[in-house]
Amino acid sequence: MKLSHAQEAMAAAIEDQWLAAAVQTGDAARAAAEEGVRDSYRLAGLEVPDRIYWFGSPRAGAVAMALLSGRLPIPAATRPTVSSPDVEAFPSPPTAVAEASPAAARPASAATDGGAPPGVASGESAAGGAPPAAASSERVAAGVGVGSGSSAAEAGVPEWVAEVCAELRLQGWTPGETAGPSLRRRVRTEPWAAARKAAVEALGNDGWAQLSAAAGRRSWGLVMDLIAGRLRLRLGEDLAAAFPGDDSRAARMPVLDAIYGQYDGPWLSTFEAADRLCPEAGLMTGLAGLAEVARHAGWWWANEKVAVLTERPSALTRDNVGRLHRGEGAALEFPDGYGLWAWRGMPIPPELASELPTLTVTRIRHENNAEIRRVMLEHYGYDRYLRDAGARKMGSDETGTLWYLDLPGDEPLVMVEVVNSTPEPDGTSRIYWLRVPPRTRSAREGVAWTFGLTAEEYQPMIQT
Amino acid sequence: MYRQGDVLIIPVAETEVPASAPVPRDRRGRMVLARGEATGHAHVVGGPGLQLVADLDDPDAMFIEVPSHGRVTHEEHGPISLPAGHYRVVRQREYIPGAFRPVAD
Repeated sequence: MKLSHAQEAMAAAIEDQWLAAAVQTGDAARAAAEEGVRDSYRLAGLEVPDRIYWFGSPRAGAVAMALLSGRLPIPAATRPTVSSPDVEAFPSPPTAVAEASPAAARPASAATDGGAPPGVASGESAAGGAPPAAASSERVAAGVGVGSGSSAAEAGVPEWVAEVCAELRLQGWTPGETAGPSLRRRVRTEPWAAARKAAVEALGNDGWAQLSAAAGRRSWGLVMDLIAGRLRLRLGEDLAAAFPGDDSRAARMPVLDAIYGQYDGPWLSTFEAADRLCPEAGLMTGLAGLAEVARHAGWWWANEKVAVLTERPSALTRDNVGRLHRGEGAALEFPDGYGLWAWRGMPIPPELASELPTLTVTRIRHENNAEIRRVMLEHYGYDRYLRDAGARKMGSDETGTLWYLDLPGDEPLVMVEVVNSTPEPDGTSRIYWLRVPPRTRSAREGVAWTFGLTAEEYQPMIQT
Repeated sequence: MYRQGDVLIIPVAETEVPASAPVPRDRRGRMVLARGEATGHAHVVGGPGLQLVADLDDPDAMFIEVPSHGRVTHEEHGPISLPAGHYRVVRQREYIPGAFRPVAD
């Protein structure tokens, strides 16, 4: 089967919707997500889980799963010193419990948000817009409150681990109760494999390849490579740091066993597009539950007796090519406070952020880590740094101006200053700076390099 | 050759175009050379019978086949007219010590 342009555009529109779901921030639509979980169990021929627990981040979800596996010991500091009234205090079903507990607390009306399909416009605003500060800080504050009073830090267990343990109890968990075996293969892998086989049969190899490119290639790079993959990597490192020694493996196991929720969109979109092209093949039938969770929640875990679901991020900030990017806070932040700090996709320590507003030439010059220094330079502004640090003008030509600055102990900073060819609406022309290789000798050579050409080869007839 | 912001369009001989496949259209049916994720702005090419194709071995390497004439547009830059011919599309990059990365237009 060969796709027409209209069919490709349809596939791209579906991809845009799933991309919007993948970068959506704000409260999960819990009721819809839980129904999706139960559907995914039923579609796999399984009994629905006895309990569904909710957590405020993938990190909390992973630790909850590790505790529910029975392989991670309960942190000493969180063991109750008196007999716990938790079970008596929260006898209601897990869903109701979840809404009553502080860290998971939320307005009741929010449970029915997200009922409308995620629109492209909302996704774009979520990607570039400001974080929902008020809602998120309330929830962070609530989350911190759960662990207050415990001596977790003294016991060597990070406070957030104690909070997860307390939260799990608040939602009705009794220590000793386990989640049962993982059902990830039955709930996710096998339905995916069956749908893929059916889709290739319906569309042919070429049709499937063309559709995958039209409906999934772009979002795969943007979501899996630039967001979910970064999150998974970082979460593994954070869990290893929080649980050194014997518990390390048990704590990190859930990272490998997670179902990615909203980040499953890049592959679900290809199946939804295929389903639209061949409705009779029933390609989305076995994936309906997974798709429902993906539209409404973040990472989740499917086990025999228990499902653990997590919230979407409260804030996600990306640059114009889709990399996690923020200087003054976490670029990806969850409602329980867990977050990833990154500058143009490069992870940065949170301490760096507090320094950024007060950077000086001397401070930047004395930074030993080259990558951190690069972040500092970009935040300070290359143009400002070149001026303040006394850069030399190497020459000007019709392509721009070349600047040179020695960086002690590092390769020189060489940049071309270029004026945008198309004036802004107010009549001014935007100036921008491009870093070029240190051996560059002229502005033309520098600009040519940015396009992979030599100075002689770079001869644009028209520029706009 | 033609430059529109961070995209350079370089004339090539037909023989320089590798085995390639059409680049899928976007949801508005457009042929997109490069797109900004935050702004949503895009370098778009179009024209009678014009094709945007990508190297089968490297989907990021794009070529334009222009049978009669074409036009490149972008929200923030002036339009560019392309005469008939074959073109290679190059996205601007920036030097970072030890590597390089694409420019965010």
